[in-house]
Amino acid sequence: MDIYVALKVLWWLLLGVLLMGLAIMVGMDMGVGALLRFVGKTDGERREALNIVGPHWDGNQVWFILGGGAIFAAFPTLYATSFSVFYIVMILLLFSMIMRPVAFEYRSKVATERWRTSWDWVFLISGAVPMIIYGAAFGNILEGVGFHFGWDGQYYQTESFLSYLLNPFALLCGFLSLALALYQGAAMLMIRGTDPIYSRAKKIGSLSALVAMALFVLGGVLVSGMKGYVLTSGDPAMPANPVSGQVVSQVAGAWLHNYGAHPILWAVPLIALAAMLLGSLAMRAGKAILAWWLGAVAWIGTIATAGVSMFPFLMPSSDNPNQSITVWNGTGSEYNLIWMTIFALIFVPIIISYTTWCFHVMRGKVEPPAAQDDHAY
Amino acid sequence: MDMLINPTVVELSRAQFALTALYHFLFVPLTLGLSFILATMESVYVITGKPIYKEMTQFWGKLFGINFALGVATGLTMEFEFGTNWSMYSHFVGDIFGTPLAIEGLMAFFMESTFVGVMFFGWDRLSARAHLVVTYLVALGSNLSALWILIANGFMQDPRGGTFDPNTMRMQFSSFVDLIFNPDAQAKFVHTSIAGFVTGSMFVMAISAYYLLTNKRKDIALRSFRIATVFGAISTIGVITLGDALGYIDAHAQPTKLAAMEAIWTTDPHPVSAAWNLIAFPSRSEQKNYFEISIPYVLTPLLTHSEDTVIPGIIQLEQEAKPRIANGIKAMVALKAYNEDHGNTAALATFKKYENDMGYGFLAKEFAPDQDLAKVNASNLPSVLDKTAKATIPNVWVEFWSFRLMVAAGFFMLALFAFAAYYSLKNEIEKHPLLLKVALWSLPLPWVACEFGWITAENGRQPWTVYGWLPTFVSASSHSVGYMIFSLIGFTLLYSSFIAVELYLMFKYARLGPQEQHHHQPEPQTAGGGMAGQPAFAKPSLSPKH
Amino acid sequence: MKKLFTFLGLAAVMVLSLFLAVVTGDYGPWYFAWLVGTTMIVMIAAAGAVMFDKQDEELAKKGIRER
Repeated sequence: MDIYVALKVLWWLLLGVLLMGLAIMVGMDMGVGALLRFVGKTDGERREALNIVGPHWDGNQVWFILGGGAIFAAFPTLYATSFSVFYIVMILLLFSMIMRPVAFEYRSKVATERWRTSWDWVFLISGAVPMIIYGAAFGNILEGVGFHFGWDGQYYQTESFLSYLLNPFALLCGFLSLALALYQGAAMLMIRGTDPIYSRAKKIGSLSALVAMALFVLGGVLVSGMKGYVLTSGDPAMPANPVSGQVVSQVAGAWLHNYGAHPILWAVPLIALAAMLLGSLAMRAGKAILAWWLGAVAWIGTIATAGVSMFPFLMPSSDNPNQSITVWNGTGSEYNLIWMTIFALIFVPIIISYTTWCFHVMRGKVEPPAAQDDHAY
Repeated sequence: MDMLINPTVVELSRAQFALTALYHFLFVPLTLGLSFILATMESVYVITGKPIYKEMTQFWGKLFGINFALGVATGLTMEFEFGTNWSMYSHFVGDIFGTPLAIEGLMAFFMESTFVGVMFFGWDRLSARAHLVVTYLVALGSNLSALWILIANGFMQDPRGGTFDPNTMRMQFSSFVDLIFNPDAQAKFVHTSIAGFVTGSMFVMAISAYYLLTNKRKDIALRSFRIATVFGAISTIGVITLGDALGYIDAHAQPTKLAAMEAIWTTDPHPVSAAWNLIAFPSRSEQKNYFEISIPYVLTPLLTHSEDTVIPGIIQLEQEAKPRIANGIKAMVALKAYNEDHGNTAALATFKKYENDMGYGFLAKEFAPDQDLAKVNASNLPSVLDKTAKATIPNVWVEFWSFRLMVAAGFFMLALFAFAAYYSLKNEIEKHPLLLKVALWSLPLPWVACEFGWITAENGRQPWTVYGWLPTFVSASSHSVGYMIFSLIGFTLLYSSFIAVELYLMFKYARLGPQEQHHHQPEPQTAGGGMAGQPAFAKPSLSPKH
Repeated sequence: MKKLFTFLGLAAVMVLSLFLAVVTGDYGPWYFAWLVGTTMIVMIAAAGAVMFDKQDEELAKKGIRER
């Protein structure tokens, strides 16, 4: 196989890994943020919940930033187009996300009730809204997005942001994403939390996994009837230019074609479903660490399901399907992908080892911190 | 079918980027510098074993945290704003510009952000040495972040390491070595990082001066003052040296920025005696300075480090741009023809011939009839050339004055640090309350210098996003004005409330100062007992204090 | 055994510094300057603090003031 094609596929896989890492790690913190008001009734309980992810939220958030950087470098046209097409939605995502670091750092710095409850609301918004938008973006992309390109590569959008925001299927995906995040956050709260946070998280988390299961099945039914996209001609080794070079047609049920061609792929959505079901049971049985890992598997299965359904599409265009962004026409150059691969090979193992070390250093149950404790949120 | 580019949307996108970048850059320099100052204090703690240095590290670390949160929050915007608002730019250079951003995440940001949690919360869980290593990793991580961001910025200022590919309609990465060792990126990284050191030093010095003036925790204040002044004095020398180097590099890479920075309209053919404008009121429409105070014999050696290099003035640079614009228009018309039919080898050959001027053709798009370069003909060519040539020069007034304000702030701080370090080293600083007051009130200066430095660098790069290749006018996303107003208002409201909260907390904790000694509790040595530290407080309440 | 590891660790740091110095010295003179300069600034500032403690002790011995 052509090296360039292999690199394109490799970076498609790595894009998936990034989106999964982001969903698991950032989703967990956002789940904790969204659950804060519900698992913690007193200020002490809420501080305990915050300090469970306190030492790690910043490091976890880098998954999000690295996701942005890696899409920029490895899929420049996808980065350029997707964030612009979903402009208002992305701006809402940014607004809600940038409130979160501030909330973590500032919430416990002033000891009045009004100050702290205000920030608790910020945690709810900055936890729930980004996860809904994250899932909704997948939903919108599965349905095809209204954009096309001019000859010089400038994109033009043809749909209003409202059609992305108030799209029922996208909202369903958004709530699936939120449910998984709540589950992941609840698992973390159980691992490091004490009662009553522990038991409240257990109740909410095991329910969230079942909700996620239901939404996943419903979403699957809707996708099977949806108009998908089929790449009828296009050389995988083509120069990465989305303006011309491929022929794409829209066919109802096309998102199931890959499963028809390779029935083994059915394992992917089944793994996701199994992980959600087992996760709910594990959580109910009080096996918090197992539940956390099953939540991670559920995320991996869910995102992989979207990925294998759409392959090789990254963002199909409903406006001019021939200009859909695919793995073949949306990546960086070969030289760039080689360098990116080198850096990823060197640094990803390093990142994983020091992240593990930091989790190890900060391990153990968290108690509600002292009112005057400077080394806690 | 091309739609017309709406100049209002471009201007609003520029305003939003400037607002968010300048705002982000309020927090970054302090992070860059204070992190190394914390590492210095903690090093002294580990070397001497004196607990006061640990207390200092923790106290300044608390202020570091308040600042760090906003740096992280506003940095999120920056990472995604290229995609949300500069789609053509992102498409055009993503293959080379995105790479340093991705590497920044992998190499630097992960390190900084992962360890910062342990730095704040791991005091009781690590040995002193291990914690010191963590603090150094945070400092190194934040500065490595700056390195990769400025490597990316260096490509915008002086594009090296990428070549344009007509088949993908974008610049493609061609040399990693050229990208990372770009002279502009090198000098700019060191200049910016050390400017952060100066900011950190000024922050610690000014607040310590406040404690000395108000008799608070002198043991901490005097030691912090000493470290900050020594740190700051050397760093300020470094910043000015590197600023000079940047000017020297720009003289070669960006003559238009240099001419605007010094308000040079006409070329002085005698480089030896060429005059340097200390003060000037430049007028763009009349292409001259209304008023100037200038010093002969200074300009050439100052900017070029030589006696005989002629520095071209703005009027000459405009004339020199005209043939490039004419060629660039031919290149762009040919490029469009080639893109509509990849079998059109004649068009490709024409494009290749004028490829190096394509950016100037792109720039002419704004002034062509209906923004269509194909409609440029013999009769309207002179006026298109004229308007485009004028557009190659950045706003001289802004460039001239923002540069001077930055330099003035820099030299003032140099003098201040020199005096402060001198008296601190003589251990006589308390005898000079006036100097302490000046040190306190000079607190905003490094921020003034940093912000105007950013304006100098980025306004001076105009009208390009990638110098000589991609004009700002064509770089923006094609949003509607309504979208832009929505996001601009949102950012303004959100950021204003952030800065209000940040300043409130910063002043609160700075005024409060380090805890008085008799309050000082022994460090709890709970091994696995959680961050709680003091179990006696296990039942905290929200009882309003004071 | 512990000494050996310390020795090996320090040797690795030295090799890395040498490598960085050679590479940046050749291609990136300003990067090299940053590495050397930052190390120097941190060390001199730390020395300044140590010097303060020394001055402070001397003053305390003379009984001039106490901090």
